[in-house]
Amino acid sequence: MSTPILATKLYAPPPRPKIVLRPRLTERLDEGLLCRLTLVSAPAGFGKTTLVGEWVAGCGRPAAWLSLDREDNDPTRFLAYLVVALRTVAANIGEGVLGALRAPQPPPIESTLTTLLNEIATIADDFVFVLDDYHVIDAKPVGDALAFLLEHLPPRMHLVIATREDPNLPLARLRARGQLAELRAADLRFTPSEAAVFLNRVMGLSLSPEDVAALETRTEGWIAGLQLAAISMQGHEDTTGFIESFTGSHHFVLDYLVEEVLRQQPESVQAFLLRTSILDRLCGPLCDAVLLDPSVSGQETLESIERANLFLVPLDDERRWYRYHHLFADLLRQRLLQGAASSTGDVDDLHRRASKWYEDNDLEVEAFQHAAAAQDVDRAERLIVGEGVPLYFRGTVAPVLKWLESLPKTVLDARPSLWVMYASVLLLVDHTAVEQKLQAAEAALHGTEPDDRTRDLVGRIASMRATLAVIQHDAETIIAQSRRALEYLHPDNLSIRTATTWTLGHAHQLQGDRAAAREAYDEVISTGKSLGDSVYTIAATINLGQLQEGDNRLSLAAESYRRVLQLAGDPPQPIACEACLGLARIAYQWNDLDAAQRHGQQFIQLTRQMGSVDSFASYDVFLARLKLARGDVDGAVAILAKAEEFVRQHNFLFRMPDVAAAQVLTFLHKGDLAKAAHLAETHELPVSRARVHLAQGDTSAALATLAPWRRQAEAKGWEDERLVVMVLQAVALQAHGEEDEAAQLLGDALALAEPGGFVRIFVDEGTPMARLLSEAAARGIMPGYSAKLLAAFEAEEQKGEDGSYLPPAPPAQPLTEPLSQRELEVLRLIAQGLSNREIGKRLFLAVDTIKGHNRRIFAKLMVRRRTEAVAKARSLGILPHRN
Amino acid sequence: MANDLDQPMVYQIRIKGHLGPQWADWFGGLSITLEDDGETLLTGPVVDQAALYGLLRKVRDLGMPLISAVRVKPP
Repeated sequence: MSTPILATKLYAPPPRPKIVLRPRLTERLDEGLLCRLTLVSAPAGFGKTTLVGEWVAGCGRPAAWLSLDREDNDPTRFLAYLVVALRTVAANIGEGVLGALRAPQPPPIESTLTTLLNEIATIADDFVFVLDDYHVIDAKPVGDALAFLLEHLPPRMHLVIATREDPNLPLARLRARGQLAELRAADLRFTPSEAAVFLNRVMGLSLSPEDVAALETRTEGWIAGLQLAAISMQGHEDTTGFIESFTGSHHFVLDYLVEEVLRQQPESVQAFLLRTSILDRLCGPLCDAVLLDPSVSGQETLESIERANLFLVPLDDERRWYRYHHLFADLLRQRLLQGAASSTGDVDDLHRRASKWYEDNDLEVEAFQHAAAAQDVDRAERLIVGEGVPLYFRGTVAPVLKWLESLPKTVLDARPSLWVMYASVLLLVDHTAVEQKLQAAEAALHGTEPDDRTRDLVGRIASMRATLAVIQHDAETIIAQSRRALEYLHPDNLSIRTATTWTLGHAHQLQGDRAAAREAYDEVISTGKSLGDSVYTIAATINLGQLQEGDNRLSLAAESYRRVLQLAGDPPQPIACEACLGLARIAYQWNDLDAAQRHGQQFIQLTRQMGSVDSFASYDVFLARLKLARGDVDGAVAILAKAEEFVRQHNFLFRMPDVAAAQVLTFLHKGDLAKAAHLAETHELPVSRARVHLAQGDTSAALATLAPWRRQAEAKGWEDERLVVMVLQAVALQAHGEEDEAAQLLGDALALAEPGGFVRIFVDEGTPMARLLSEAAARGIMPGYSAKLLAAFEAEEQKGEDGSYLPPAPPAQPLTEPLSQRELEVLRLIAQGLSNREIGKRLFLAVDTIKGHNRRIFAKLMVRRRTEAVAKARSLGILPHRN
Repeated sequence: MANDLDQPMVYQIRIKGHLGPQWADWFGGLSITLEDDGETLLTGPVVDQAALYGLLRKVRDLGMPLISAVRVKPP
């Protein structure tokens, strides 16, 4: 929520100098502190706010205050204000929560509340939280949130709710558990003695006990009634007469009294009260703007009304902002409408003036609301759209939607831009309802003059259809509609053009056309540099990283992902989670498993507050491979089973191939060839199929599957897939007996993989790859890289991991002449790094004899050097890999 | 008895205290009848349940004690 916080909502009414002390009530409120919730539930005009305000000032605990209004039915706004109010008692609470609430996809309410509640639990002092005017809340999500809050209320927090009707919370349960304190109308009414104190001492009247009793009876102790009666009488000379007429009639108390009180005011004040009743909150300059009467000073009038106790409530300490007591305001409004019945244009004018003042003072939301109340559609539309980002993209969705819903079809048809706006807002709320509005917009546009504006609207319609197609993962529609949008959108409409370009890139990526995707993302990023980075810059940079991963350029990809984390702020916006996942994958590939795990943890942190996203499936696949690398096969199986269920449940079917491929690996590790084969077939995964064939010992079939797939990958420029295939082909060739070809191919693969620093792609193939690498090293192929990889293998073996699930490879080509026992001994000692002299000493032989043995060993192994001899012997299984 | 969907529902809301005739507009054109016992009857067509609750809320917000809300046969 990026709309500004209204400090006035957090303002607790200050104690007033002349009030009726009501110790019986403040004592009840004190006792209530032992419970979780104190409910002050009574109709309007029973002095709830005054009482709670007085009590809170003197209760001896820190107190947070939140005055609710209709807009707080938006759960995101409600939660945001909850946090901000809490900050008045605990300075830095809810930092992360506020950040999460501002994200385009706010997190699920319960998880936000849980986080918040955990933070509240750390507050050291007992404190009170007051929710005033809770009756304005009727949205179920907010009610549910509050019920959740109550259920898990931290012990130091006491909640007070003031409302005109019993809230839809589990009150019976709380009552039964003794967790609820209540003050109701019967408690809040003035008792006869309190009424006497009020009328005579506070309001300065001198009434007889009989008069007081008569008034008390007539109003039934209703405070608002008594207050108005007192104000009336202050201006009356004949108080007895007044009391007689008043008590003698059945006339609705408030109506009668307001009439009386208004009549007593000078004309200018009457006009002031009536006209300013349209305002939710008032300040001097605003009143001046609405009244347009130079002879009246808004500020002075407000202050004098406050002094006269005429139901004006201050909203801050500076005497700048006020509001009318709700009851009073409602009655005034009713009177205003009545009086203006002949010319409602008058009331609309007032709203328009208010709208203008708010606009001039940069209070856009209120400006819009008054424009809507003034029934000035054009003005309202203009204010919603604003200068840059429309209001509904800045957190003000509900009021805009409500306004659009209230407009008659004829009004919308006359303004196609409103239909388009309607569709945009619905896209945020309920995307199934969007297409209908788009069609209405097109119908409205039909037959209008084509100009820049209408062309831009056509473009926006296409761009929204592209976005809808993203949700369906329908790449073709995305591309068609995005292209159409870019054709029609105005060249200056950069924000929507950027969004559309990104969706185009996304579609290309879905189709595997990486070059086209990269082009689109590069454009989004460069526009971001000149326009200011938006969420699309972040998204495009993530996508770019993914493409770089696809090109095997791991370092570059890691850089891109790190840049995303920079752009995403601190704490990072949840959208950056894919960057963490990318870094995790890269760290895994670089065999830094601890770092991989850490990045994975960061992903979990960021997504903790998110609803279900397909990224979770990606994470599960990553985690499964990590577990496999650590030898926890069953753990991997469990995670992937969960992932499969998740994918099916949420219809993220485009993630299924990744999950299935990982599952094939786990089943191969468990030796369950049938399951692995079935999965590979069902999902038509060439690499997985080849693995299954290999596991079955059918190397020909494996090679036959891999060859065409490799050609496909090379044709499409899928470098990552190409590397995977080449590695697997090398293993297959070796198993097939084609030692030379295998080594050659491995050399090619190593050349491709070295710049990226790939490790695990080799290590994960297990012992056969280790042998192959030794062979390659013996042949002098990429010795440095091979040595590094072999070292990684050694580290794995020391941990007891063996990545291979393949059947033991057929014995390597045996030596034409096997090594003798003595030669084996010598070779072992060579492998241990002993010099010829040291070997001679060990075996009690002369150095020359050792040299002779060496010559014969080298000849039999067909090598020329010690290192080569050792490597070859290992690859032949003559020497173990480990020393 | 079949429900005639064309006929709107008619409700009679009873509140305590007398309202002046000028309140008819506020209550969306309901007729106002003042009873001798000091109560007021607001009678008239109500489109649907949501409209009914809206009316009840208006009554609540003006602090008028609600005695009853009854659905009656259209006259």
